[in-house]
Amino acid sequence: MDTQFLVSLSVIMASFAIYIGIAIYNKARATSDFYVAGRGVPAVFNGMAIGADWMSAASFIGMAGTIMLLGYDGLAYIMGWTGGYLLLTFLLAPQLRKYGRYTVPEFIGDRYESHWARFIAAVCTIIISFTYSIGQLSGSGVVIGRLFEIDAKFGTMIGVVLIAFYAAFGGMKGITWTQVAQYIILITAYLIPVIFMSLQLTGNPMPWISYGEIIGKMGELDRELGISEYFAPFTNDTKWQFIALMFTLMAGTAGLPHVIVRFYTVSSMKAARWSGAWALLFIGLLYLSAPAYAAFSRFILMTNVAGSKITELPEWTQPWIDTGRLQLADENGDGILQWNELIISNDIVVMATPEIANLGVFVIGLVAAGAMAAALSTAGGLMIAISSSFAHDIYYRVWKPEATEQTRLKVARWSIATATLLAGVIALDPPGAITQIVAWAFALATGTFFPALVLGVWWKRSNTKGVIAGLLVGLITTLSYIFAAKYGGFTILGIIDTGAGVFGAAAAFLTNIIVSLATDEPSQKIQEEVIDLRYPEQMVYKDGEVWLVDDHKKTSH
Amino acid sequence: MKKMDRKLANRYFKERTRYMSFYFIVWFVVSYGVVIFAEPLSHFSINGYPFHYFMGAQGSIVTFIVLLFINASVSDAIDKKFGILKNDNKRLNKEKAINN
Repeated sequence: MDTQFLVSLSVIMASFAIYIGIAIYNKARATSDFYVAGRGVPAVFNGMAIGADWMSAASFIGMAGTIMLLGYDGLAYIMGWTGGYLLLTFLLAPQLRKYGRYTVPEFIGDRYESHWARFIAAVCTIIISFTYSIGQLSGSGVVIGRLFEIDAKFGTMIGVVLIAFYAAFGGMKGITWTQVAQYIILITAYLIPVIFMSLQLTGNPMPWISYGEIIGKMGELDRELGISEYFAPFTNDTKWQFIALMFTLMAGTAGLPHVIVRFYTVSSMKAARWSGAWALLFIGLLYLSAPAYAAFSRFILMTNVAGSKITELPEWTQPWIDTGRLQLADENGDGILQWNELIISNDIVVMATPEIANLGVFVIGLVAAGAMAAALSTAGGLMIAISSSFAHDIYYRVWKPEATEQTRLKVARWSIATATLLAGVIALDPPGAITQIVAWAFALATGTFFPALVLGVWWKRSNTKGVIAGLLVGLITTLSYIFAAKYGGFTILGIIDTGAGVFGAAAAFLTNIIVSLATDEPSQKIQEEVIDLRYPEQMVYKDGEVWLVDDHKKTSH
Repeated sequence: MKKMDRKLANRYFKERTRYMSFYFIVWFVVSYGVVIFAEPLSHFSINGYPFHYFMGAQGSIVTFIVLLFINASVSDAIDKKFGILKNDNKRLNKEKAINN
């Protein structure tokens, strides 16, 4: 056992002790605590919790690597994952907050007055969150695999046990405050290596300002090597793919059930707007740094590692070769490792770079802890979404309305354990890179919830049959496109599997609108409720009139 | 509870919608707009980056964050203007949730 192992392990254990401590302190006591944390979380902290919930293994572990390998084309992830917060905060979050339900399927079931719509929405939530959690487990596999210097498969198995235990234990209230701690740890862990690399390479501690110069130098290196320039647009995929992927990630952000539910944990529409703003500020810190991380890593690999003798490679390469995510082969047999003889997986770039840049054992351990925080916190939120869809929306609201609170909590905990195990089995041999798997989850949310929620909130004419048809058509279109593009090589305008949401959303919007118009309009009560969502919560729309809620009466109207 | 002039309520909604449309135009231009014209824009550079790369990696994100904060404070101002921000919105909408 070397020093690095001991240091990494202790940093991870210390961070876990903090999370568990906070979770015990805030242990869930009642159903409303379990699902929405008692609706009393201040906007700034809720922003941090949204940030931790949001920044998953895909953001922390996968994104910089994806940008490093795709160059400019990878920036679709950056713009998509941040720009979506505008759709969410302007179009959906405050309105859904005013409607006041626990979960997204619950909103859909009540707004469209249908148990079938509720059931389909719950199934969609489970499919989306499940796909997303495969990416998280695959990420924890990379971290744990590196830590113990074992194949990432065994790392994933350990991750499954950790996440199942962790998510089943806390519930939303524990998780909200734990996530604030996780945000602080993960952002620190991300910024420290970028700042140090910036100092090493440019002498400037502000990576956001300094990496422009590195990008310029890399352009020259690329031209020397005769490969396309790092910043040249659309070299890996078409422009249409870039736009489709960006749209998919934006609309998916607005439709992701486990993110929307975070906006139910605030006290008002006003707080929902501020939470969205704070969340994007906290998220932006990492997203502005990811392209710098990518540029520095690629520069170090190009100048320090490529060109060295195969027999004299640095020490850090061996453990990563053991995880199965790094391949170095001297293809032309000249004893020197060329840039194109180095195959590095997207998913190890962030984890490996601190070692590559010689940043010292503590920083490397800290990055491992940050990566675990990212994977764990998002997996926790996802598992809550899965368990509430199953235990609350399907089991309680549709199947057994007479179930006691204890039974429902038990069903919720068992569904978390089952979902984690199943996702873990798939993550043993992940069907794609982490960012890619996560992009599929976004495509599914774009094709199902985004149209259903936007029309549900903004168009009173949208009805039960419209939403059911829209959800089903959107789900089937998106799933078929992902499979046809990934396994059948089918593409339209060069749009590959990760951009599938564009077609799903178009199909779902059209279906919802056409079917709604062809069938009876929703009840007067529902139409009034939809108009009511245009106004702040102090204004109530009823019987064609707008009423101002009295300031003195606190809760009734 | 007192009745509110329907016209006033609609003015509230229109004002919010007008701001929102403006935010979405900016949002579209800094993201989709820059991507669509990425090749011609790459000839300009800013702080050492080609312009299209700068917008993708930094410019658009900063714009998004600023827009969200502008929205939050402008919305508060509108709420105040229409006289509905007196008790700081602390009211919990509990009666609307299904509490069980």
